[in-house]
Amino acid sequence: MDKNIPQEIERFDVSARTQHIIMFVTFLLLSFTGWGLKYAGAVPSSAWIKVWGGPKIAGIIHRVAGIIMLLDFIYHQFYLLNLWRKKDLRLTIIPMPKDIVDLVHNFMYYFGLRKEKPYFRKFTYLQKFDYWAVYWGMFIIGTSGFFLAFPVTVSVLFPTFTLGWIWDVVFIMHSDEALLAIVFILIIHFYNEHLRSEHFPMNWLWLTGKMSTETLKHHHPAEYDYLFGKDGKYKG
Amino acid sequence: MRILVRVLPFLLFAFLLVPAAGAATDAATCLSCHESMEGSVKVEKEKYSKSVHGSFDCVMCHMTPKGDQHQGLVGSTPDKAVKDLAQEISPKGLKDPIAQAACVTCHPDQYAAYTKSIHGQNIITKKSSDGPVCTSCHGSPHYIEARPSAASKVYLYNIVISCGSCHEEKHLIEKYHFSPLVMERYQESFHGRKLLLGHTGAPSCASCHGAHDIVSVKDPASPVGSVEAKKKTCGKCHPGATDKFVAAITHQPLHPIAHWTEIGLIILTVSVFVFIIVHVLLDIFADIRDRLFRKGGGH
Repeated sequence: MDKNIPQEIERFDVSARTQHIIMFVTFLLLSFTGWGLKYAGAVPSSAWIKVWGGPKIAGIIHRVAGIIMLLDFIYHQFYLLNLWRKKDLRLTIIPMPKDIVDLVHNFMYYFGLRKEKPYFRKFTYLQKFDYWAVYWGMFIIGTSGFFLAFPVTVSVLFPTFTLGWIWDVVFIMHSDEALLAIVFILIIHFYNEHLRSEHFPMNWLWLTGKMSTETLKHHHPAEYDYLFGKDGKYKG
Repeated sequence: MRILVRVLPFLLFAFLLVPAAGAATDAATCLSCHESMEGSVKVEKEKYSKSVHGSFDCVMCHMTPKGDQHQGLVGSTPDKAVKDLAQEISPKGLKDPIAQAACVTCHPDQYAAYTKSIHGQNIITKKSSDGPVCTSCHGSPHYIEARPSAASKVYLYNIVISCGSCHEEKHLIEKYHFSPLVMERYQESFHGRKLLLGHTGAPSCASCHGAHDIVSVKDPASPVGSVEAKKKTCGKCHPGATDKFVAAITHQPLHPIAHWTEIGLIILTVSVFVFIIVHVLLDIFADIRDRLFRKGGGH
C-alpha cells in the first residue's frame, strides 16, 4: 500500500459519535419502556414494566428519554449547520439516483448476475435509509410523542374538524411507527453492525470513529477513490 | 340499625347460652354442612373467615332460611328497609332477595345511590332481570376482601372485567344499545393499558362513569354526559382539560381516517419488514457463497 495512504480514516468525529450514543441509549430506553405499554395485554408485560420501576416510573423514563432524543436530534441540525459554516459539510448522505442503481447492482450481485459489489460511495443506500429513517421517526414518532406527553396543552392546536380522529391517529402513528423503527434497527442495523462475521460482536466504529482504509476500499470503493484517487494517490 | 348490627353477634352468642332458645345460629353451625356441599350453596370456610364479612353469622343476611333442613333455625327479623328493598329487587329473580337486600343494613348510602342508578332502575322500575345487584359486581359477599386487594372484583383492572361481564355480552349490547366496542376501545386506550399494567392512577370505568350512582351517558347527570361535565371529570387528572382535549376518549369505533391510517402504517411496516429480511438473508447467502467459492472475490 502507498505510504501516503493512512492505515485508517476518521469517519465520524467526536460530536457525531456522542450524538449516536445519546440516540441509541434513549432509543433503547424508549423501546424497552414503550414495548411494555404497546403490548400491555401480553402476559410478560406487567413483569417487564416492573423491571423498569412500575408503570409510573417507566412512564417518566419514557418521557425524559423522549425529550433527550428530541434535543439530540435538534442538536444534530446545529451540528450540520456548523459543518456547513466551516465549509466541511459534504452532502454524501443525500439520496441520489445512483442509490437506485446501487440497489439493482447489489441484488444482481446477490443473485450472481454481477461479479462485483456496487461501487458504493461514503454511505450505501441502506445507510442512507438508516439515517433518513431517523428523520421520519422524529417527524412521526417525535411529534406524536410530544402531543401525547402534553395532550391538554397541545389540544388547542387541533382544528375542530379533526377531533373525531386526530387523537386516534396520533396514538396509532406513535405506536406503529415505533414498532417499525424497532424492527428496522433490530434487523438491518444489528445485522450490519453486530452480527456480520467481520464485525461480530460489534463494529467498534461507534467508539473509535475510525475505519481502516482496507475496509473503506472493500465497502465504499467510491469514497476510497474520492479520498485517495483512482491511482491510489492521496489527494488530501 | 348499625348499633344493632354490632350487638347482634353478642345477642346471637347469648342464644347459645340458653339451651331452650332453639338450634345454634352461628356460622360454624351452618358451615358444618355448607362447607362440604356442592354448587351455589357451598361456602368455603377458609375464604369466608378471611373475608371482611367473615365474623358475621350467616343469619345476619340469610334472615329467613327456607326448607325443612333449616327447621328450628331462628334468623334475624328483616326490618322494613330490607323487606321493601327485597320486594323492589324481586324482578332480578334472586333465590334469597332478603339476603341481597340485607347489604343495606350496613351500606345504606351505596344502596340509596344504586336504587336511583340506571343499574338499579332497570330492575326496580323496568322490572328486568338483567340489571346488576350488589353481588353482580362485588362477587359473593362471603369472599369480599378489604380494598385494595388483587382478589377484589372491583380492584384496579378487575373492575373492567366485572363491567365487561355484561357490557361485552352480545345480547345485552343489542338489547340496551351499549356502545358496541366500548370494552375493546377502552382496553387499547392508554387508560386501559396503564391500568392493566398496574398503574394505580389510571382510570377504570367507574373512575369516570361513577359506580353505585351510575347513569346513562345520555343522562345530563352523568359525569361524562356533556362536554362541560367531561371537562370537569377529565380535569380531575388532567388539570385544565379543554373542549378539544376531552374529545380524545369516546370508546366509539375508529373513524375511517384513523382506521385507514392504521392500515397504511401496517402495510408500510410489513413491506419494510419483508424487504429488510429478504435483504439480510440474501446478504448472508452471498457472504457464505463468497467465502466458499470466491475466496476474496466479489469485492
